[in-house]
Amino acid sequence: MLQDYKKYLPNIIILFLVGMLGVAFGGSQYLILLLCIIGIYIIAVSGLDILFGYSGQISLGHAAFFAIGAYTSAIFTTKFPIPVWIGMLLGATLATMIAIMIAFPAAKLVHHFLALLTISFGQLVFIFVSKADNITNGMSGIIGIPPIKLGPLVFDTNLSFFALMLVLVTVFLVIKQRIVNSRVGRALIAIRENPHAASGMGINVRYYKIMAFAISAFFTGFSGALYAHFICFISPESFMYSQSVLFLTMLLFGGTGNLYGPIIGSAVLTIISESLQSVGNYQMLVYGFFLMAVILFLPKGLYGIVDILKAYMRKMVKKSAEVK
Amino acid sequence: MLIQLIIGSLMIGSVYGLLALGYSLIYKASGQMTFVQGELLMLGAFLGLTFYGIMGLPFLVALLLTVVIMFIFGMLIEKFLIRILLKRGATGIYIVLATIGLSILLQNAAMLIWGSRVFQFPSIFGKSLINIGGINIVPESLLALGVSLLCMVALHIFMSKTKFGTSMRAAAQDPMAASSLGINVPFTTAVTWGLSSALAGIAGIMIGPMYGVSITMGSMVGLKGFAGSVIGGYGDMYGAIVGSTLLGFIETFVAGYISSVFKDFISFFVLIVIMIFMPTGLFKSKVYD
Repeated sequence: MLQDYKKYLPNIIILFLVGMLGVAFGGSQYLILLLCIIGIYIIAVSGLDILFGYSGQISLGHAAFFAIGAYTSAIFTTKFPIPVWIGMLLGATLATMIAIMIAFPAAKLVHHFLALLTISFGQLVFIFVSKADNITNGMSGIIGIPPIKLGPLVFDTNLSFFALMLVLVTVFLVIKQRIVNSRVGRALIAIRENPHAASGMGINVRYYKIMAFAISAFFTGFSGALYAHFICFISPESFMYSQSVLFLTMLLFGGTGNLYGPIIGSAVLTIISESLQSVGNYQMLVYGFFLMAVILFLPKGLYGIVDILKAYMRKMVKKSAEVK
Repeated sequence: MLIQLIIGSLMIGSVYGLLALGYSLIYKASGQMTFVQGELLMLGAFLGLTFYGIMGLPFLVALLLTVVIMFIFGMLIEKFLIRILLKRGATGIYIVLATIGLSILLQNAAMLIWGSRVFQFPSIFGKSLINIGGINIVPESLLALGVSLLCMVALHIFMSKTKFGTSMRAAAQDPMAASSLGINVPFTTAVTWGLSSALAGIAGIMIGPMYGVSITMGSMVGLKGFAGSVIGGYGDMYGAIVGSTLLGFIETFVAGYISSVFKDFISFFVLIVIMIFMPTGLFKSKVYD
């Protein structure tokens, strides 16, 4: 474990910088709030990355897991006197279990049909959440969701939540890296590249595909619960199809299959969407543009630029070596 | 009540059918999936509204103009989006994502051009209702049914009896063999996309008078049309029609006898169930990896 320190050093530095940023802007509530939202999205999109970036399974319904995590935790903590963190774990676990159920048939399907299945699933959850008035309070949403409490600490201010987010985002990203750099991660990548070859190498494709769904749902479900206990109010509008598209756009924009992609994607798109609040209705238009731009020009996402830069620098080094 | 439900089912089923035909045609011809049919329906509805309602052209002229424009638009999508992506070696999923992005753009572009309120499509036959067997029916729904049937029959004749239609089928079955026989495969692919787009446009004009025209009208219907083609067997033209009609019946009867609140829920639920237990649909298509 101790040797890993060197590997994690750049990440720790970045984290420290972000933490300093937060303290520096401590006065600006708005910026802290923004950073918290970005943090929630980082976890959610990292979840989607495990599914799409690493195992190659598309999901256009991830808002469903976001919703399941949020609503489960909200309902349990508002109706029963259970600790918030248990509610959040419940939410994430329920999302995971439902994901496993969906994954059983979904893991078999070709891309396009998987897309349709996930869209339908997303719609299903949205319709349920907005019409089942007895359980979810329908379109009015759920108010008065308790903030996160850990012992004597209550995370009900933006700044305190930001501190918690720093820790949680780190934890989840570390978990993701460990999964990705392990046998499981390698199996997922093999499945993504060529499922038949992977299965020929003895990888149980079905098992790992379902596992990818499960892990992905846990991440996104947990982030949904975080969202619920941060804003302390949820309504079906946050869990529509557009939310699923947003997750995917963030992932594609930032770059799939790596640690920083979801971070970049979440940060950039959240900032942009916040700056566009004034043109409210046209948010989706901008997302649409971003999606198209990424697909047409930057299929590897913004992180792909790093690869391009590396290749360029390698060429420059080679050239200077030749001159000598 | 029963007759009204049956006519309603047939009508909505045939609208889904027009969309489903588009999905299956494209899949059959180019092996690609498209998610933009719903927004093309919306675009067709708006175009029809503009020509007929705003500019006051006679209905048939408006209809023909819309069809032609939608057809050309579909060909443009194929040429400037799909073909470019395919040349870059994009996998199927990126085409799907591109069409989703396009659908978002279309929806918002429509919002910019026409605004986000619900528009009233002026009635085509005046306000009179037709009386069949003691039930009053809006003539527009019969028009929708009739036009859809006409399109399906015309499409069937076109694909199976004409030379060009047959060459389209050949190109869909095996592009290399077809092109070695002198068939212009890129052109037939473009025509396929154009046809699907035109079908969606017609569906839009048909549905406009009944449910109004708005920028969000396409999303749900698009998904249901997709569901219809999956139920019937994705890629199969006749399956698309059968599946969509079936979906229309399930949806309308559930809304009529059980609850209209959960109508959409049931439709998606049925779709998910079918995808789990019978993903190849009724007419057996290839859905597994």
